Amino acid sequence: MNTYDWLLVLHVTGAFLLLGGGAIAAALNLSALRRDRPSEIALLFGLIRIAVVAIMIGTTLAFVFGLWLVHEAGYGYFDGWIVVAYVLLLAANAMGGAGGKRDERTAKLARELAAAGDAPSAELQARVRDPISLALSYGSGLLLVALLAIMVWKPGA
Amino acid sequence: MLALIRPDSWNLPLFLHILGATVLFGTIATVAIVGFASRTHAGYEGLLARVAARTFLFGVIPSFILMRGAAQWIVGKEFPGDAKTPGWVDVGFVVTEPGAILLLITGILIWISARRGRLMLAVPILAAVYVVALGVAWVAMSGKP
Repeated sequence: MNTYDWLLVLHVTGAFLLLGGGAIAAALNLSALRRDRPSEIALLFGLIRIAVVAIMIGTTLAFVFGLWLVHEAGYGYFDGWIVVAYVLLLAANAMGGAGGKRDERTAKLARELAAAGDAPSAELQARVRDPISLALSYGSGLLLVALLAIMVWKPGA
Repeated sequence: MLALIRPDSWNLPLFLHILGATVLFGTIATVAIVGFASRTHAGYEGLLARVAARTFLFGVIPSFILMRGAAQWIVGKEFPGDAKTPGWVDVGFVVTEPGAILLLITGILIWISARRGRLMLAVPILAAVYVVALGVAWVAMSGKP
């Protein structure tokens, strides 16, 4: 394997951690939507932290080795499809980060309610199903799928 | 950046193959995560068994079908007829064909576990083995050693 091959392996590893981490977060989030007990919601939201670590490592690997690949393959850093990729990655991270912060506040409330008797709460239910949080998190995932499409089709390359 | 030069007609199956593979990686990793978590969170075994069962049914199985179907589509384009496939493609077949048997066993164990209300230890172990196998496959597919 040459330098390009190794860079591609690391870039693709980043993509798998990033998209796979998104799938983990989605699976756990969808499960939390169906629960009423605060302790169960707290547990499922707590497990999403593993996905967040995968997403952070994946973003770093995909971005760093992606830039290196641009150089190695002779593309320009400001080619149209590469600029679109930067924008999509930035937007996906911004949306995912904003959704994640809202979810962290929901998880904190769930832990507090669990410690105070674990009774179902209308406020917690509303926060778990908050359409803004869901739109930010799932919108971020859709942007990552669009990013994957850009990487495969390379429009204009 | 996934390949320097390839015919445009390969892009859709490649996109679907990678999308399926990444979702498969994430969903089978979820099964492993909730399986191991069920060993350390007494009182939530039933919940985590149901999460594993739903994730397997609605995540692992569809993404496996997408990944494998798209793989066959692109192999048919890249190596038509009786053309010999290179080793990196064969690694993919090893992960998906015996891997399908591993997933089938995992699915049966999840179904039995969900009925009992507690995940068997074999479930997260088998899921973790499949996560590693997928890692080997994506290194082989992207590096093409």
